[in-house]
Amino acid sequence: MRPGNRARAYAALGAAIVALTLVPGGARRALAEYGDVVINNYSDAAGVRPAVFPHWFHRVRFRCKVCHSDLGFKFKAGGNEINMLKIIDGQFCGACHNGNIAWSVENCDLCHSGKPGTPTQVHESTIQQLAAPAETPAAAKK
Amino acid sequence: MRSRITLYITLGALTGSAVSLHAQDRGGTGKAVYEKSCALCHAAGIAGAPKLGDAGEWSARLRAGIATLYRSAVAGTPNGMPAKGGNLSLSGAEVRAAVDYMVRSAGGAPKSSAVPGGKRATASARGAAKPAAGNPAQIGAAPASKPARETPTPTVVAAAPSGTPAQAAIDPNAFNRLLAPPGGRNPPPAEDGIHDPGNPGIHALQPPLESFQRLPRANAGNRVNWVAALGKKQIQPRWDLGDPQAEPSAMDLNIVREVKGSMPDVVYPHRQHTEWLDCSNCHPAIFVPQKGANQISMAAILLGQKCGVCHGKVAFPVSECRLCHSRKKDAPASSTAAVPAAEARK
Ligand code: HEC
Ligand code: HEC
Ligand code: HEC
Ligand code: HEC
Ligand code: HEC
Ligand code: HEC
Ligand code: HEC
Repeated sequence: MRPGNRARAYAALGAAIVALTLVPGGARRALAEYGDVVINNYSDAAGVRPAVFPHWFHRVRFRCKVCHSDLGFKFKAGGNEINMLKIIDGQFCGACHNGNIAWSVENCDLCHSGKPGTPTQVHESTIQQLAAPAETPAAAKK
Repeated sequence: MRSRITLYITLGALTGSAVSLHAQDRGGTGKAVYEKSCALCHAAGIAGAPKLGDAGEWSARLRAGIATLYRSAVAGTPNGMPAKGGNLSLSGAEVRAAVDYMVRSAGGAPKSSAVPGGKRATASARGAAKPAAGNPAQIGAAPASKPARETPTPTVVAAAPSGTPAQAAIDPNAFNRLLAPPGGRNPPPAEDGIHDPGNPGIHALQPPLESFQRLPRANAGNRVNWVAALGKKQIQPRWDLGDPQAEPSAMDLNIVREVKGSMPDVVYPHRQHTEWLDCSNCHPAIFVPQKGANQISMAAILLGQKCGVCHGKVAFPVSECRLCHSRKKDAPASSTAAVPAAEARK
């Protein structure tokens, strides 16, 4: 190392120590948006990515009532037995993703956008938030 | 190792031409940033830093995916890589450009994202499927074998800097053992951990911050104060599927639930709820519509029952105690009858 660089190197190493204290645990966790629902009853088995439903995006456009009362979505991730036939027949997501209210169903990738193997879940739900040792799978799932 | 790198090349191609554009115009920046802020350690390999041009070391690290390397470089790692190389004035994009430069020096992924034909790959990858299952749609996903799919692929979206910690050895004496670091909040879908960054459609999805930056902030959940956003008409979510004009008739009825012990009483406000929800969403399935007729406890709420059906899932999370426990007890000392926090915030 050139001597002139030494001071800068020390400064950088100081920063490294700061970084150390700022990055505890170090376990990788998902940071997806609060309320994102992964729906994976059939997707993995059918060879498509799991569907991801973003609540934040939809609640900017619709009140809960439209989906959970008028369209009959039950308050339960994975609890509606949604499949593609129902969707193209205008039920569930298909009540809107029909090329009329929102883009149509041929945009598979926009819904089927989850990491393969991600289980059905509501992201950042209370259960997921309960502290768990960083190395357990539960924490990794966060 | 070679075959790994080839995989990345193909995956890089999948993410399409937008990536190659980025990669090209950042060549110069990357080198400059590297020389100014990274060479210090990465030229000679100080403190175990992977050396510039050392293909073995970089390809091993690339196995975690370029997105992980970006994260490590922006947020630092517990093993000596300081956040942004210690130069916190660098933008996320500059740091990523330097990473691209270093990876390229070792013959790694970002170079490969300029492979021609990326666009075609994107088009044919619609409906990409998990290859293992032999679905016809799998042609789209052809290049990705299962393990590679789970590896984050190059994400070159230059959106919100992510302060995610890297996957690295865990210091047993770390100050916060259980508290998750704040990390990059509201990250774009490609970096959020549940979306597949290899999905060609991923960049069509909206990064949450693009929406949220116009909305009043809150401390938890989406970090958006949805009640205020609606109250100020910053969002106009429809009450009816097809009729944008339809309006709810909100009901103004507060129910006070006295709480034993020191915690302030709970004020349940019908108004904020009936702005979003129909009576039938709660009555009678979750609550019998009669004051005091329902057994509610924090244990139930934490398990996702009663108020916890929504709070802790979609509506603001349980950590925001005072939004619910908003009425001070009529203690002799403090006679100032408290306005419920929910009302006071209006
Ligand atoms: C509007 C969102 C949406 C779009 C667009 C969409 N899907 Fe789906 N799809 C879903 C949901 C939700 C499920 C249920 C997922 C589960 O439970 O695993 C599903 C399930 C599936 C399943 C498994 C169940 C079944 O019906 O066989 C397949 C296969 C599938 N989708 C393929 C596709 C393909 C191919 C396309 C594009 C032509 C597509 N999907 C477009 C939302 C969507
Ligand atoms: C555009 C439609 C839509 C809107 C609007 C909507 N939701 Fe949902 N909600 C869904 C879907 C889809 C699911 C997942 C259902 C499934 O997996 O079968 C869901 C699931 C849920 C769940 C179940 C979580 C669990 O415990 O598993 C809750 C609670 C919920 N929503 C609350 C709300 C609230 C509160 C609002 C309003 C702020 C809202 N939703 C707005 C579509 C919607
Ligand atoms: C103070 C010395 C130092 C400086 C300055 C520095 N690094 Fe590092 N870097 C390291 C060390 C040590 C490691 C190995 C840490 C590890 O394995 O977690 C590392 C690792 C990395 C990695 C690999 C991380 C991983 O997850 O495997 C990347 C990428 C990186 N640095 C990028 C950069 C960039 C970009 C800059 C300049 C903006 C920079 N570094 C400046 C010390 C430094
Ligand atoms: C009440 C109507 C409605 C229902 C039901 C609905 N959506 Fe949507 N969705 C929309 C609208 C409107 C948009 C915005 C369309 C646009 O940008 O043109 C949208 C957009 C999306 C987006 C893209 C978000 C972005 O970042 O741009 C995804 C993903 C999505 N919906 C998934 C789903 C899934 C999965 C379901 C079923 C589980 C579903 N939606 C049910 C109305 C609905
Ligand atoms: C988010 C859930 C929710 C919604 C939506 C909701 N309520 Fe309630 N309601 C409650 C709760 C909680 C109570 C208190 C029950 C208790 O104290 O045990 C209650 C109590 C009541 C009571 C009893 C009041 C009393 O003094 O005994 C009536 C009447 C009532 N609600 C009517 C309605 C009507 C009408 C609507 C639609 C306009 C509605 N509610 C919407 C949750 C809800
Ligand atoms: C069916 C879903 C649902 C249930 C059940 C529910 N809430 Fe809510 N609550 C919401 C939604 C949606 C909002 C709007 C704010 C948000 O989404 O963060 C809200 C807002 C509130 C607010 C207003 C906060 C403010 O900023 O003004 C309070 C207080 C509240 N809830 C308390 C309760 C209590 C106490 C219960 C149980 C007795 C309960 N909620 C049950 C969905 C629900
Ligand atoms: C969504 C609204 C809501 C939130 C958020 C909330 N509580 Fe509660 N809490 C309630 C309700 C409703 C009750 C039951 C009151 C009753 O007995 O009728 C309760 C009861 C309690 C009790 C009495 C014992 C019991 O289990 O019934 C304690 C203690 C308590 N809460 C503490 C907290 C703390 C600490 C927090 C923050 C971490 C919190 N609460 C957040 C709604 C909430």
